[in-house]
Amino acid sequence: MSEGDGAGGKGSPPLVELEKITKRFPGVLANDEVSLELRAGEVHALIGENGAGKSTLMRVLYGIYPADGGTIRVRGKEAKIGSPRDAIGLGIGMVHQHFALVDPFTVTENVILGEEGGPVLDIEEASKKVAQLAEQYGFRVNPLAVVEELSVGEEQRVEILKALYRGVEILVLDEPTAVLTPAETKDLFGNLRKLREAGRTIVFISHKLDEVLEIADRITVLRRGSVVGETRPAETSKAKLAEMMVGRPVLFRLKKPHVQVGEPVLRVEDLAGEGKLNGITLEVRAGEILGVAGVEGNGQRELAEALIGLRKLDAGSIGLEGTGIVGRSVGEIRNLGVGYIPEDRHGQGLVLNMTLWENAVLGRQDDSEFSTRLGVLLIRKIKELTARLVGLFDVRTRSVDVNASTLSGGNQQKLILARELETDPKLLIAAQPTRGLDVGAIEFVWTQILEQKAAGRGILLISAELDEIYALSDRIVTLYEGRITGEFSPDAAPEQVGLGMLGGAREEVA
Amino acid sequence: MPFTDIAVAVQISFTYFTIIYLTGLGGLFSERSGIVNIGLEGLMIVGTVSGAFGARFFTDTLELGQPWGPLLGLLLGALFGALFAGVHAVATVTFRIDHIVSGVVINLVAVGLARFLSYAFFDGQSTQSDPGGPHLDRLDIPGLSSLPGGIGRAFSGLSPVVLIAALMVVPAWYALNRLRWGLRLRSCGENPEAARSLGVSVPRYRYQGVMLSGALAGMSGAFLASEVIGNWREGQTLGLGFISLAALILSNWNPVRLMFFAWLFGFAVAIPLRLNDAPVISALPPQFIRMIPYVVTIVAIAGFVGRVRPPAAAGRAYEGGGGS
Amino acid sequence: MPTESKAAPASLAARPQWFEGFVGQFLALLGSLAIAVILGSILIVAYGESPLEVYSSILEASLGTVDGIGYVLAIATPLIFSALAVAVCFKGGMFNIGVEGQYLVAMVTAAWAALELGFLPGPLLVTAVLAAAMLGGMVWAAIPAILKVKTGAHEVVTTIMLNGIAVSLLAWAINFPLRIGERPGGQNVDLRTDQFPDGALIGDIGEFFGVTPGAHLSWLLFLAIAAAVLVWFLIRRMRLGYEARAVGSSPGSAKAGGISIGATQLKLFLISGALAGLVGMQQILADKGHLPQNYIVALGFTGIAVAFLGQNNPIGIVFAAILWGILSRGEVALQIQSEVPREFIIILQGILILSVVITYQIAKRRLAARQLQRAGEAGALEDSAAPEESSEPREPAHEGTEAFQPTNERDG
Repeated sequence: MSEGDGAGGKGSPPLVELEKITKRFPGVLANDEVSLELRAGEVHALIGENGAGKSTLMRVLYGIYPADGGTIRVRGKEAKIGSPRDAIGLGIGMVHQHFALVDPFTVTENVILGEEGGPVLDIEEASKKVAQLAEQYGFRVNPLAVVEELSVGEEQRVEILKALYRGVEILVLDEPTAVLTPAETKDLFGNLRKLREAGRTIVFISHKLDEVLEIADRITVLRRGSVVGETRPAETSKAKLAEMMVGRPVLFRLKKPHVQVGEPVLRVEDLAGEGKLNGITLEVRAGEILGVAGVEGNGQRELAEALIGLRKLDAGSIGLEGTGIVGRSVGEIRNLGVGYIPEDRHGQGLVLNMTLWENAVLGRQDDSEFSTRLGVLLIRKIKELTARLVGLFDVRTRSVDVNASTLSGGNQQKLILARELETDPKLLIAAQPTRGLDVGAIEFVWTQILEQKAAGRGILLISAELDEIYALSDRIVTLYEGRITGEFSPDAAPEQVGLGMLGGAREEVA
Repeated sequence: MPFTDIAVAVQISFTYFTIIYLTGLGGLFSERSGIVNIGLEGLMIVGTVSGAFGARFFTDTLELGQPWGPLLGLLLGALFGALFAGVHAVATVTFRIDHIVSGVVINLVAVGLARFLSYAFFDGQSTQSDPGGPHLDRLDIPGLSSLPGGIGRAFSGLSPVVLIAALMVVPAWYALNRLRWGLRLRSCGENPEAARSLGVSVPRYRYQGVMLSGALAGMSGAFLASEVIGNWREGQTLGLGFISLAALILSNWNPVRLMFFAWLFGFAVAIPLRLNDAPVISALPPQFIRMIPYVVTIVAIAGFVGRVRPPAAAGRAYEGGGGS
Repeated sequence: MPTESKAAPASLAARPQWFEGFVGQFLALLGSLAIAVILGSILIVAYGESPLEVYSSILEASLGTVDGIGYVLAIATPLIFSALAVAVCFKGGMFNIGVEGQYLVAMVTAAWAALELGFLPGPLLVTAVLAAAMLGGMVWAAIPAILKVKTGAHEVVTTIMLNGIAVSLLAWAINFPLRIGERPGGQNVDLRTDQFPDGALIGDIGEFFGVTPGAHLSWLLFLAIAAAVLVWFLIRRMRLGYEARAVGSSPGSAKAGGISIGATQLKLFLISGALAGLVGMQQILADKGHLPQNYIVALGFTGIAVAFLGQNNPIGIVFAAILWGILSRGEVALQIQSEVPREFIIILQGILILSVVITYQIAKRRLAARQLQRAGEAGALEDSAAPEESSEPREPAHEGTEAFQPTNERDG
């Protein structure tokens, strides 16, 4: 249900005009003569796939990047925005995906940093102002709280307050709901509506089409650096938007192979640890994909890490075809037949500074096939392996001697996938396997995962994207605050699953 | 009287407290702005030679007499220290090279530089027979210095710089926590990207932090050479720069806590100088006593590692400009 | 066959990455040398001398005579060991500033072995002494390593502290257990150990080349070069070197791949300590024949400088050490022939290091940007959100620069 019908925006003169903005990076044309108009008192959604250029465009507006071409006009006058300071001076503020907060400082200190109002700090006065501002727009925040102890949603509020404190009228939010729970998202939308009523302009960058349809007044769609369309929620639908984003009708479902499900490959019982895992029990059988659905931050990462041996546990057991895993080293667990697609492919997947062949053998450098007993590497063999993997998985690269950092996100993920599958694991842990990938890469990865299922492996799929869960899973469980809160079949309605993700038990679903 | 020995040891400890505290405070400002500075020793060395020269030059040659002569001598040491620290600043802030490497270079070059300056300023290093250079008149702390039983010795004959150093905690704390400058400086050390996004010039505050560390370490060296020993001699810094680093770490980069550790280590340095005959200590070879500050630091770091929390961005090159 | 995008011209595909890196590095080195020479010239001119004369007299003193070359190589020998020790740890992401203390402790253990094991025949004694030195260095290096692995204590701090302890330890050793025996006549002698038995000493090879024995050029030089080759092989061709580089570059990925970070770090430190142990052997076995009170200091710190001068590359280190030796030897020339004070050398050395490190940084960044550009043109980046991912390759994420990071993880 859209809200923006006729409310605000219509008829008022443009507040900000971006005219034919072009921005290049080494090897990529991020924005190709993009034109956009922002009006007072509207929520303007900017949507597109990863790499479409949405963030880049807004960063140009915010002065982080200089444009290579085009002009920006604010309130009718041409503006030179060379730095965020310039942007703020013009009333433009931005809240990034990764917050820019100083952890040991208080909320007030973070808000006033850079705008202290004099050489001597008057924290009391500033705190009062911050509290007033928060109240005005319905933000719940304690000015004296230390940022380190705040939740993600609260941190985001601080970021928004920072902008409001500086009197911005145009607020750009870059994927704001990616890190929020559904409850926090509701709160945020409430705040945004209040801001809109007060005549502010919100630019809402997102790829979550449901939310966009709910909150936006106008929607601009970017694809591969160009504007492909502008519309209103009332005049469009999720499917139409998706098509505009991608350029062709998107397959939300692939054909799932029918496989005879076998014995349990993985049995997890009452897994608990470090406050993030509070008693998880689940089971994955051979030839089955178990989808663990949940909003990020509910223990997904910890679960994946525990299964591969990267995390200490307080209680519980993990059985891989009967063999206990808890307490074993990562190497032992891998040798028992576990493959791991980490959600952080740079932090836990690849070593960016090393070459493709060095990455390809990571985890198997001890094999007699790849090094002698004395420890000398058999580089030729390793490169042969890498060449084969690169070919099989269509990793686009000049050679196997380049650094992994030169690969795109999709190709990096393919390399990781190739490497992990090469060992014929009995259990494959796939955590957010398609995050940050474009549709082509997503399709590839999904196809690979389904092939693994067909080959009789057990797959634990952890994902925050319901589309992905639905597309691949044979069974779905929901993870909320470190516990499994519900089990569903892929025929279940998304609302039900969503409820599980919020902590509601199956019994509560009508 | 047994107390006299202890009292004298305490008096000496105040002197070394001054050295360690000043140097440590310098290191504090540098690190809290995000630049690791292990070149404190080298900065002190530069301070020693210029301070020794300055004391003589201002007091005798320019005939400024007490107290201006020695004070200007101390300031000269601070100035040279700040200038030399400028090299570290340029290397780490502008060129973003590894802080440790730059610090090592500072330490290496300082020795040669000091020797060179010693020829430029006077005729090389002093011999044993040289009379001491001018220094500030010593003072006794009223009240405390007349305590009976020899205890009063601990508080008499102190250089005024001891008091200056001790009092520095006030402006230091105030600047860090109550001034805009301090808020911005600290933000550069904790999250420079955030600071930059809010218009804070990270390079500027880091330069200031580093040059301040040079000034304080230089002054500390000047104090050592002119007030404590009276002459310049090679190697007189004796690793005090590294001891200051230890005190700084243990104090968790807090100017108030630093006072305690600076004094503690000052006392540890004083022990072999004065208390060699005391019961437990005489059993230990003097060399082992000199190890104490280092051992204590290691034990503390290893044992309380969770409690020691440096500025989050210290040591990490700040990539400047641009988003991400 | 790796799939190459049709867009990539054959020439680009042909040039491997390491070659480009090599050329880039070489140019960077030349550039930085030029900068250092120019800056040095400014100082020289300030003294009213001609830079040409000063530089040529330095080169004359160091490379102009056979003796000079002998001195240069003798100076370089301990520096090679020292720099290798630093580089080994650096590859694994750690800063071993403790080479300073490690070689001091090694000199003590070596002295002990030389004096206590004198009954062993010549070659055996020398081997035992060298082994004792390496062992001493390893033990002293094991301390910060174990502390790091078990408690997370940062090695920069612990090694600096251990350096301080080592100084006192050596002073104690010379004063007490290893103190020189009474001389007849009870004269006041320098504080030192007894003279080592001949079997422990390392022979001079200078005479084969016509180098004066005063240079004390010994076969430790060959050992040092051999060590450089071995270290190169270890880092590039062996499993441990591979694991070290992975740990140094991306510890999270290394760990997720099954590599034991603690074990790797410990092994690296032990190797580093062994190398560090040999640093002092030149002076006590080839030169003095005993452990004196006024032993040569700062070889550990200088090793760090040489390591970075050679970009932590074993081959580069050998050349860097020789370059350092040339400059150090040049001090003599300045002393004799010039108005420029000999301290100019250390300042020049400082300028050189900073110049090299800075230039290398800049060159690396340019190279990385260009690689990215090529990859983009080859179509490899078509689906990326370029600025989102941090695509700039960094130096090994060595914890030395991220000094004193707290060990308790904070939520990213």
